[in-house]
Amino acid sequence: MKILLVEDEPKTGEYLRQGLSEAGFVVDWTQDGAEGLNLALQSFYDLVILDVMLPGLDGWQVLQSLRGRGLQMPVLFLTARDEVTDRVKGLELGADDYLVKPFSFAELLARVRTILRRGRGGAESTTLRVADLELDLLRRRVHRGGRRIDLTAKDFGLLELLMRRHGEVLPRSLIASQVWDMNFDSDSNVIEVAVRRLRVKIDEGHEVKLIHTVRGMGYVLEAPEEP
Amino acid sequence: MLRALSLTQRLTIFFTVLAAAVVFGLGWVFIQATARHFVDLDRGTLQDKQHLIEDIVRSANSIEDTKWRLNEALSHHHDLYVVVKDARSDVLYQSRGFQSPGLLQPPSASTAGETGLRLQHWASEGREYRAIGFQVTPAYDESGALDVLAAIDTEHHEHFLAELRRTLLLYALQAVAVSGLLGWLAAHQGLAPLRAMRAQAAAVSGHQFNERMPVAAVPIEMADLAAELNGMLDRLREDYRRLAEFSSDLAHELRTPISNLLTQTQVALSSKRDAPTYRNILASNAEELERMARMVADMLFLAKAERGMPLPNRERFSAAQGVQALLEFYDAVAEEKGIRLSVTGDGEIDGDRLMFRRAVSNLLSNAVRHGDPGSPVTVKIGTSDEGVSISVSNTADDIDPALLPRLFDRFFRGDPSRAHPASEGAGLGLSITKAIVEAHGGDIAATSGDRTVRMVMRFPPSAAIS
Repeated sequence: MKILLVEDEPKTGEYLRQGLSEAGFVVDWTQDGAEGLNLALQSFYDLVILDVMLPGLDGWQVLQSLRGRGLQMPVLFLTARDEVTDRVKGLELGADDYLVKPFSFAELLARVRTILRRGRGGAESTTLRVADLELDLLRRRVHRGGRRIDLTAKDFGLLELLMRRHGEVLPRSLIASQVWDMNFDSDSNVIEVAVRRLRVKIDEGHEVKLIHTVRGMGYVLEAPEEP
Repeated sequence: MLRALSLTQRLTIFFTVLAAAVVFGLGWVFIQATARHFVDLDRGTLQDKQHLIEDIVRSANSIEDTKWRLNEALSHHHDLYVVVKDARSDVLYQSRGFQSPGLLQPPSASTAGETGLRLQHWASEGREYRAIGFQVTPAYDESGALDVLAAIDTEHHEHFLAELRRTLLLYALQAVAVSGLLGWLAAHQGLAPLRAMRAQAAAVSGHQFNERMPVAAVPIEMADLAAELNGMLDRLREDYRRLAEFSSDLAHELRTPISNLLTQTQVALSSKRDAPTYRNILASNAEELERMARMVADMLFLAKAERGMPLPNRERFSAAQGVQALLEFYDAVAEEKGIRLSVTGDGEIDGDRLMFRRAVSNLLSNAVRHGDPGSPVTVKIGTSDEGVSISVSNTADDIDPALLPRLFDRFFRGDPSRAHPASEGAGLGLSITKAIVEAHGGDIAATSGDRTVRMVMRFPPSAAIS
């Protein structure tokens, strides 16, 4: 997966490049809007991450030029100003998502993966499986090691999210937004407690723990790697 | 043009123009009256002469006698000129040095009797004359009436009038000048309270907010203005005080986490540690930074709200549905504390659904955090003519009534100590709730008593929202 990162702030750019590279993406980074547009036109990218405030061409202009030339790759823009008009403008110009600075890297990574997963539907499986944990989407049932686990509706939703994106660290804000539709900064403690409660139901009494806390980042559901 | 003039200048000009109009008007009336008086005098004189000439002509027994007696009677009147012609326009008598203008119109018979006094006026060779013409029939020759023109040189009158005009003009100019000066003095004096207020206003600044307009010392017309200005200053001082407090709170709130981060990072760098320790430190830093980022986001939200926040997406929605979704969100936390969450009633709210949920979310978060373990947290929704009210109550120690209004102040915490669990917000939640409710045109109040703390939000009926 190839990502073009257009960000003029050197530190932010460097860390984003490093973080995305380590997450398994191929990243081209430029600090200049016009240069970014050239790169985007010359080679194929799966995603463009665009800062709005740029020297030369600003983010809007780059986005406009891309869409004007019929390039439909997903674009995620970064803005320092959380103004409704900014958001609306970006989305109207054809951006796929936006993040307001300061954002957490886990949040960015989760959004990037969400965008890249879109449109890659394929045959949707009705059963999610991680290690010996099984989630039946149709009958809304969860089994671990053949034993049935009772979950509330929201617990089920939380587990479904963690399993669909197993191996990914999901930040609290993304979990709040996806499971409870809480699209604003809310009590971070709530997610912690909810995950803790789910963990008790899923992991207690099992040798292998599946739900893990990544401090300062979020939560991840993954099976320990085979030795 | 007029706008550029000061109030004193305007008043002075107004006063001067007024004085000039009065003085010049008076002078004009006086000169007119005098001139009219001179005309009356001349008329009297000419009438006397008419009677004299009529007497002479009627009593004379021949043309020669007429000529002689006219000469005798009129020749030594040096301001009076008389021309007498017979029916054939031969001159019987003419005063020396006098040229008849030839425009003499014999008065018609009807006017001759009563108003034979119609004066004629003309100027000739630099002299001005006022004259009457009349006809008289001599006794010695009943067939031929004589035309008579009697004229008076009015020069000495004109001279007097000119002198009078000059004197009056001089006086009027001086009077206007003096009036202007007095007008300026009066305006200057009269506006002294305004200058006092200006001086007072100039003394007000962010550091010196205690100066007030002297309401008692200014005239009644300006007392209202002064009182209003003082009211404005009071409000500004209050806002300014809150802003200043807020800035210092903000600095303090940011200083603590920054200092934590700095200390922790520098201690970590001061000696070699193993990888898990570094991970731990970085994770802790990330948590702290996340809190700061959230605080900054909240601050920006509040700053926007202060500037007057428009509702991004207005729609009508059920309050109970919004609250229900939030109860599910807080379910896990409540369960852990043994708190039972419930909602009763419903109402339709016209506003922004997301912002409404954010407002209620903060109240629920507080209620669950501060509620006694094992106690209920109840949300009651009621609809009335005044709109929808939503109350969130929990069981907890009563709050000092004096602190209740301050709950909505930014960064306010009931417990003044700085030791807060990391999960607790920056103390902006209730401020944000208040800002959201106010953006919807509603209000919020806190009550406390009998170990029940209750927050009541009131949303006005949709029509009341601007």
